[in-house]
Amino acid sequence: MSNVTFYDRVEDALNNEQLKVALTRTTSKLGGLRINALASLPDADGVRDRARLIRAHTISKLADYLEQFAANVEKMGGHVHFADDAADANRIVLELAKQYDIKTVVKGKSMVSEEMHLNHEFEEMGITVWESDLGERIVQEAGEMPSHIIAPAIHYTREQAGDLLHDKLKIPLSHDPAVIVGHVREKLRQEFLVADMGITGVNFGVAETGTLALVENEGNGRLTSTVPRVHIALMGIERIVPTLDDLSIMLQVLARSATGQKLSVYTNLLTGPRRKSQTTGETDGPDALHVVIVDNGRSKVLGTELAEILYCIRCGACLNACPVYQQIGGHAYGSVYPGPVGAVLTPGLRGIGPWAELPHASSLCGACKEVCPVRIDIPRMLLKLREEGHEKGLAPAWVKMGLPMYRFVATQPALFKFVIKASGFGVRMLAKIQGNGGWLNKLPPPLSGWTEHRDFPPFAAKSFSEQFKNRK
Amino acid sequence: MQDSRQIVLDRIRSSLKTSVLPMARASISPREAAPSSDYAAMSQSFQRDMETVGAKIHRPANDFAAVDLVVDLIQELGSNEILAWDDAELPLAGLPYALHKAGIRRADHRIPNDDIGRKQKLAALSALRVGLTGASAGLADTGSLAVISSPTRPRLASLLPMTHISLLPINRLYPTMAAFFAAHPGVMQDASNLVFISGPSRTADIEMTLTVGVHGPKYIHVVLCP
Repeated sequence: MSNVTFYDRVEDALNNEQLKVALTRTTSKLGGLRINALASLPDADGVRDRARLIRAHTISKLADYLEQFAANVEKMGGHVHFADDAADANRIVLELAKQYDIKTVVKGKSMVSEEMHLNHEFEEMGITVWESDLGERIVQEAGEMPSHIIAPAIHYTREQAGDLLHDKLKIPLSHDPAVIVGHVREKLRQEFLVADMGITGVNFGVAETGTLALVENEGNGRLTSTVPRVHIALMGIERIVPTLDDLSIMLQVLARSATGQKLSVYTNLLTGPRRKSQTTGETDGPDALHVVIVDNGRSKVLGTELAEILYCIRCGACLNACPVYQQIGGHAYGSVYPGPVGAVLTPGLRGIGPWAELPHASSLCGACKEVCPVRIDIPRMLLKLREEGHEKGLAPAWVKMGLPMYRFVATQPALFKFVIKASGFGVRMLAKIQGNGGWLNKLPPPLSGWTEHRDFPPFAAKSFSEQFKNRK
Repeated sequence: MQDSRQIVLDRIRSSLKTSVLPMARASISPREAAPSSDYAAMSQSFQRDMETVGAKIHRPANDFAAVDLVVDLIQELGSNEILAWDDAELPLAGLPYALHKAGIRRADHRIPNDDIGRKQKLAALSALRVGLTGASAGLADTGSLAVISSPTRPRLASLLPMTHISLLPINRLYPTMAAFFAAHPGVMQDASNLVFISGPSRTADIEMTLTVGVHGPKYIHVVLCP
């Protein structure tokens, strides 16, 4: 992490007009699509309740299910590796690359690989990595991180995307998404056909069969897991469901919550590598399948009051619904996982130290919990993290100074009455002077920290206790 | 290769002792994935969802009409070589002969083991414009094809070409994915790949503008065989 603070990044994001346009277009559209898609599901609430129970049950027996899953992957001819942390996972993948004499790698979308900074590791080793998901490829070529879990280049306008891909991929210049996609297809097809190794993420690992479920729309995940000789699948330890029937429930809510589809275009169920036999084996599919199961802080989170965040199925609905994400986008969070889920997961996985601001990037409005397909209580955990940050002296200055002042005032009735009256008057005066449609964009210190990135509503002319008295 | 399996599993078990896991003790009621034999309703629902995402559904009156339709489709696309499943996997008995008569060849889909031969073969298969497959099932509630790999059912046939023609007998429709799984309990043991295909390959990664034909087929024809 550099010296750029969370608040610097927020400042940049709020001043970025193009980002504002891109975010408004995409988050509102995704939110609407989600509502329609859930409406197409008979008893959507019942399915969500069941999905939550499945996640809760699985996580509560996670070690047993992981063992069952690993045994079944191995029974079907796949290899399983457990990685303690990101460095361990990188070591495993790089050793495999060496073992199979890999020169080129094509990658499908994987958030775990972002945690590992895997592309960087490959480049150090002189191995070429091609991201194949369109959005991931855009951010790879730009040298950026994804800004959304399911729409990595959500912050790009079509003009920016067209210019960048023309420049980096040497494809003809266009600002028409359909034309750009046509050129990208031709260019990337050549990469799929020559890549020695394919790397993908995993949406769900099915314990009872050792099956990997990988959902996607472009077909890049299918190509990545089918054409190269070796397929490496990266998954977090929590990405397990017990049975195929459970999988079918999770799939009913995943695509609907993510993109508003009933089902993604490709739901790939991968069980072991290509079936080989002397005479009549399968003619395509990878010769070898390696599943790398990555912990990287998750088992630590499991032992805390944040364990519920491991129910997450990475649909991204909480990002689209969050009024803060809608304003600042994904990069301002500075973490691999942005948005409400990231504001819990990041301090959980990496420790509150450098991430103490993230739990404050929320108005606690509850929209994230409302849209979550498995009803994760994100606001509860944001509060828990704020508490932890405060105990460790990591709360923002306006909270540190403001709260003791408030306690001093609020515990003395006469003083409280006076301060409310005086500040009500002051705030209304300020609002008049600032002329911001009745809202304040600046408060005096220590409250100035609060208004730096937010407007403050003026107090009503009569306080609650005054109105209460008049009603008697 | 030495790895961290025991370390990770031990830490999970130890963390689970202090975990706060809402709803983890609630029981999950068993459920029956009810089958259905209402093929008229299921095919209607399947067709509606497939068409919504831009696939073309054909409903020929009988097998003869279906065979003619498939040959016509391929000829309209100007292809005399296609990437297809083996004869026995195509659920239209007269089709292999009709293709042969029309001068449409099926590419050899076996891929050589050596690196150079392998890459040459993949490039050759990638140049073909039409893929022809059957389908193990159709899901009515999402408009999806279930396509399962085998030695005679190459994955690449429904993946590499720009156009994918799939033959789906109507009596292979299931109301839901759960009903399909319930009817095929051993399905994962026998094949490395089962893919549910719900329309043409697509992306919305640029400004949420829906664009079809990214890396998989841009055109999907499902022939619902009576």
